[in-house]
Amino acid sequence: MADPDVLRPKHIGARVRRVEDPRLLTGQGAFADDRIVPGALHIAFRRSDHAHALISGIDTAAAAAMPGVFAVYTAADLEGLVEPLRATSRMRNYHATPLYPLARGRVRHVGEPVVAVLAEDRYRAEDALDGIAIDYAPLAAVSDPRAALGADAPVLHEEAGTNVLAEREFSRGDIAAELAAAPIRVGGSFRFHRKAPTAIENRACIAEYDRGRRLLTLTSSTQIPGVIRDALADLLDMPGHSVRVVAADVGGGFGGKASLYPEEILVAVLARRLGRAVRWTGDRLEDLATTSHGFDEIIDAELALDRDGTMLALSAEVIGDVGAYSIYPWTAALEPVQVVSFMPGPYRVPTYRGRVRAVATNKAPTGPYRGVGRPIATFVMERLVDMAARRLSLDPAELRRRNLVRPEEFPYRVASGIVWDRSGFGECLERACAAIDYPKLRTDQGKARAAGRLCGVGIASYAELTGIGSRISAAPGMPINTGTETATIRLDSTGAVTGNFGIASHGQGLETTLAQVIADELGARLADIQILQGDSALVAHGTGTYASRSAVLAGGAAVSAARLLKERIIRAASHLLEAAVEDIDAADGRVFVSGTDRSLSFREIARAVYTEIGRLPRDAREELEVTKVYDPFFGTATAATHIAALEIDPQTCKVRLDRYVVAEDCGRVINPMIVDGQVHGAVAQGIGAALTEEIVYDEAGQLLTASLVDYVIPAASEVPPIETIHLDTESPSTLGGFRGMGEGGTIGAPAAVANALADALAPLGAEIFELPMTPERLFRLITEATAQARGD
Amino acid sequence: MKPAPFEYFCPDSLDEAVVLLAGRAAEAKLLAGGQSLVPLLNFRLLQPAALIDINRLSELAFLAEDRGGLRIGALTRHHALETSPAVAALFPVLSEAMAHVAHLAVRNRGTIGGSLAHADPAAELPMVATLLDAEIRTRSAAGPHTHDARDFFTGPLSTVLADDEIVTEVFLPALPPRTGSAFAEFSLRRGDFAIAAVAATVTVADGRITAARLAVAGADERPLRLDEVEASLAGQCFDADLVETAARLAGESVNPFTDLRASADYRRHLVAVLARRVLTEAHARIAVGAA
Ligand SMILES: Cc1cc2nc3c(=O)[nH]c(=O)nc-3n(C[C@H](O)[C@H](O)[C@H](O)COP(=O)(O)OP(=O)(O)OC[C@H]3O[C@@H](n4cnc5c(N)ncnc54)[C@H](O)[C@@H]3O)c2cc1C
Repeated sequence: MADPDVLRPKHIGARVRRVEDPRLLTGQGAFADDRIVPGALHIAFRRSDHAHALISGIDTAAAAAMPGVFAVYTAADLEGLVEPLRATSRMRNYHATPLYPLARGRVRHVGEPVVAVLAEDRYRAEDALDGIAIDYAPLAAVSDPRAALGADAPVLHEEAGTNVLAEREFSRGDIAAELAAAPIRVGGSFRFHRKAPTAIENRACIAEYDRGRRLLTLTSSTQIPGVIRDALADLLDMPGHSVRVVAADVGGGFGGKASLYPEEILVAVLARRLGRAVRWTGDRLEDLATTSHGFDEIIDAELALDRDGTMLALSAEVIGDVGAYSIYPWTAALEPVQVVSFMPGPYRVPTYRGRVRAVATNKAPTGPYRGVGRPIATFVMERLVDMAARRLSLDPAELRRRNLVRPEEFPYRVASGIVWDRSGFGECLERACAAIDYPKLRTDQGKARAAGRLCGVGIASYAELTGIGSRISAAPGMPINTGTETATIRLDSTGAVTGNFGIASHGQGLETTLAQVIADELGARLADIQILQGDSALVAHGTGTYASRSAVLAGGAAVSAARLLKERIIRAASHLLEAAVEDIDAADGRVFVSGTDRSLSFREIARAVYTEIGRLPRDAREELEVTKVYDPFFGTATAATHIAALEIDPQTCKVRLDRYVVAEDCGRVINPMIVDGQVHGAVAQGIGAALTEEIVYDEAGQLLTASLVDYVIPAASEVPPIETIHLDTESPSTLGGFRGMGEGGTIGAPAAVANALADALAPLGAEIFELPMTPERLFRLITEATAQARGD
Repeated sequence: MKPAPFEYFCPDSLDEAVVLLAGRAAEAKLLAGGQSLVPLLNFRLLQPAALIDINRLSELAFLAEDRGGLRIGALTRHHALETSPAVAALFPVLSEAMAHVAHLAVRNRGTIGGSLAHADPAAELPMVATLLDAEIRTRSAAGPHTHDARDFFTGPLSTVLADDEIVTEVFLPALPPRTGSAFAEFSLRRGDFAIAAVAATVTVADGRITAARLAVAGADERPLRLDEVEASLAGQCFDADLVETAARLAGESVNPFTDLRASADYRRHLVAVLARRVLTEAHARIAVGAA
C-alpha cells in the first residue's frame, strides 16, 4: 500500500498564490485591446440618441470623405452578409427578438449602434461621427415597465405583439386558501433598481481574417468564447475549425461579458469581408449604455406564517424590466425567472405561487449579472423574514433557525422544482452568528439605541444552485448545453503537464485553482502544470465561465481526466520500476514504489514513453493525454449567511458599515485566499447594489447615469473589512466535492444591508422596500418617519 | 471618448504663455493638471483649437508666507497644499478641505489655478478661497490684475476670467488672532465632489464673536458666503441656541438645485447640519488654542 501521508492532498485547501498574478500585476497581461495588429481598422459607432424611433434616412457621405476614414457601414450595407441573431428558447410564452449588428430601420434604446465608421485610428473614427446625418422619426418610448404592460403602451417588437417577452408561473399548493387562513401575514411592494456590471475593462474585441488559411480569429473580452464560436460559425456559415474565439486576459465580467454582442458580430463580419483586422474598444460611456444591465425588478410579495413562526405560504408577483432585446444566448427570461424560482430560498415553504413577466422597455437589454435574480429574490425573502420576526417579536436569527431546511430533510425540493442537495444551511447561520458574537452585537445595539443612535444588524441567509449540469438549462428553455465541461490533460515529452479547458477565467484565478486540483490528483508539481483556457480552439466544445460553474465543472473534469492519466503514468512506471501497479504512487512530480527508495520523475517516465524507444514494450507505451467530459447533471447547492452591522447618521443620513461577516459553504475549498477574494469582491458589489449603484433612465428613455460620476460604485473606503468563514463540507453531488461560489457575495449582501438598515430605522418605524437605499432615499424615509412619529 | 484634434503648445515661461494665449484667446485652453479639462476634451464637450500646456512654468509652482498670509502659485498641486506645514499652521481649514478633494492620484496632478478657473460649484478650493477672502491674481497681455474671490465665480463652470487671462497666484490674507476654523463635507464616497460642504471661521474677543465667516459649496450654482448668517453671529455670545438658529438660517438662505444625487431639500438640510457642526467645531478650536 502507498504511504497514506503522501496521498493526502497538498494543494487543495492551501492558500496558493495565484499563478496569473505576476503576469497581471506587472503589466504583462494580454487583454483584447493589447493585441497589436498592423493595419487594423478602428471602429467608432454612431449610436442612437433616441430611445425609440424609426430611421428614415442616413447620410454618411461627408463622414466617408473625411481624412483617415476607410469605410462607413450601416445596416443596409450588411444585408446578405449576416443573419440576425435570435436567442431562442423552448419556454412557452416566450418571444425571441431579432438582433442586428447595426440598427435596421428602427432603434429601441439609447446607445444602440446605428452606423459604424472604420478608420485608421479611433481618433479619426470619432472625428467622422460628426459627418453622419441620421433622420429619425421618433416613436413614443416607454421606460416604466408597468406602463409597458398597459394596453396603450408602444409595442417594441411588433412580431411579438406584446411587450411581455416571457411569462412563467410556479405553484405548489393552494396559495389563496393558505394565505387566507394564516394567522400572520407580512408583505409589500419591493423595488430593486437597475444596475450595471461595470467591469474595470470595458468590452473590447478585434477580429482578424487569415485569407490563406480561411481562419477567422476573434479576440474578445468575453466570458463565453465557446458560445460565440458556435454562434459565429452558424451566422457566418463557416466550419468551427475556421472560427476561433480567444478571450486571453479579461478584466472582469460579472455577467456583462457573458452574452454575444452586436459589436463582436460586426467586427467578425467586416474582418472576413475586408480581409483586414477590425477592432472596437468600448469606452466607459459605451459600457454603461450598452453592456447588459441587471437587477431591475418590481416584486409584490407576501409571506404567511403560523404564530410560532413556521412558514406556511409565499406568494410573489414579479415584473422584470428586461430592456429592448432578448439577449443571446440567455434570453430576457433569465433574470426575472430566477427571481421567482429562487424566491423561497433555503426555507421550508410548503405552499408557493410565483409569477413573473419579463417586460420590454426602451432601455439597454438586461442579461446575467453576478447572482442573476437571486440577489433580488433574497432581498425580498429576507426582508419578509425580518418583517415577520418583528411582527412576532422573535429574534430574526431564531425565526430563520426555525425555518431553514434541516440536515435530515435533504435533498429538499423547493416549490419551484429546484432540489437542494445536502448543504450547511443551518451551520452557516450558526457560524456567522458565532463569528460576529451575535448576542453581544444585540446588547451593544440596545445600548446605542438607548442613546438615540441608529444602529442596525441585518442577517441574510440564502441558497443558490451552482455547477449546473445538463439536466437543467442555465437559462430557462435555452437550447444550448451549459452543463458539461471538457478537460484535456497531457504529460508531454518534456515531462510538463498541460490542462486544456473550455472555461474562460476573467479574474477568478482558475489557472491557479485548476492547477491545484490537477497537482493533487496527478501527484504533479504545481510549477510543472500549465492551464490553458479562454480559447475555443482548445477543446471540442466549451462554453465559458459564468453561473458559478467553473470550479465545479472544470474542477470535476480535471479530477476525472487527471485520475485516468495518473493510472496510465503509473502503468508505464510499473514496467520501468518493475513493481506492481498497486505498490506505486505519485507525488511531487515523481512516481515511487512505496516502502523503497526507487522512484522516477514524470520527466523520466515521459522520455521513456515518448522518445527512448525500446525502454518500454510497444504495448506499454501509454497515451499520456486524456480528455474527459464532466456533467454534474443537476448541480449542487451553495449556502451562506451574511451578517452586516451598520450605523446611520440620523442628521446627514450617511450609512457607515461597521462589520461584515460571511459564513459560506462552498464545499471543498480549493484555495481559501481566492475564495476570500471572490467573497470580498462580490460583497462589495452587493453593497453597491444596496446603497449607491443605480442606472437611471428618464421617462423618455434617456440614460442619465452615463459616467462613473453619476453611476456610483463603492470604493475601498466604503467597504468594511469582510470576515469570511468557510464551512468546507464536501458536496455529495459533485466530483471533487466542490460547490460554486463566485456569485454568492452579491446574492447575500443587498439583503443583509437592507435588513440592517431596516433594523437601524426600527425605532422610527420605517421599513425598507427599495434598493439602492441612497442617501437621498434615506433622507426622505427618515423625514417621513420622523414626521409621522410626531403625528404631523 | 477621444478628443477632437487640437494644436499643442508648451511654453517655458509665463511671458511666453501670455503671448501665446493673447494670440489665440477664444480658441485656446490652458492645460494645467488636466484633471478637469481632459475629461471635457474626451467627451468632446470642449473642442478648443489649441492647448497651451503651462506645466513647465515652474515660476507658478510655489508657496510663500507673506504678511502672515500665504501666496500660492497657480501651479501648486493639491497634494502640496494638503501636506504643506505652512498651510496647516496658517490655514488649517484649507488642509482639512484638501483631504476631501478627489483621491491621491488626482491630487498629485490637479492645481489650485485649475480648480479655481474650472469653478465647479461643488469643488472645495473655490469655496475655501471664498471663505478666506482670497485674492486671485492674474496676468494677461494687458498686464496683471487682481480679483476678489467673492466676485470671481459667476456660475457653474464660469468665472470673471477673460479668455486671455492666466491665473498666476492666489493670496490668502492672514486670519485675525483667536480665530478657529472648521470644514465639513457630505459626499457619496470619500473623495467625490461635495453634495454639500460648509466651512467656517469664528473669531472671538472678550467672550463675544467679533467675526464669523460661513461658506458653502454644492448647494448653489457657485460657492457662496452666507452674509446673513455671518451677521447674525457677529457681536453675539457663543452658545448652542445661537448656533442652532444660525444653522437653520444657513439652510434657509441657500437655493440649491436637485440632481441625480440629491434633492434641493436634502441639500438644504445638509447645509444646516454641516453649518451646525462647523460652527461648533470652529469655536471649540479657538478655546483649545487659547487655553
Ligand atoms: C476622479 C476625479 C475626482 C475629482 N474630485 C474632485 C473633488 O472632490 N473636488 C474638487 O475640487 N475637484 C475634484 N476633481 C477635480 C480636480 O480637483 C481638478 O484637478 C481641478 O478641478 C482642476 O485642476 P487642474 O489643474 O487639473 O486643471 P485643468 O483640468 O488642467 O484645467 C481646468 C480648467 O482650468 C483652466 N486653467 C487651468 N489652469 C489655469 C490658470 N492658471 N489660469 C487660468 N485658467 C486655468 C483650464 O484651461 C481649464 O479650463 C476631481 C477630478 C477627478 C478626475
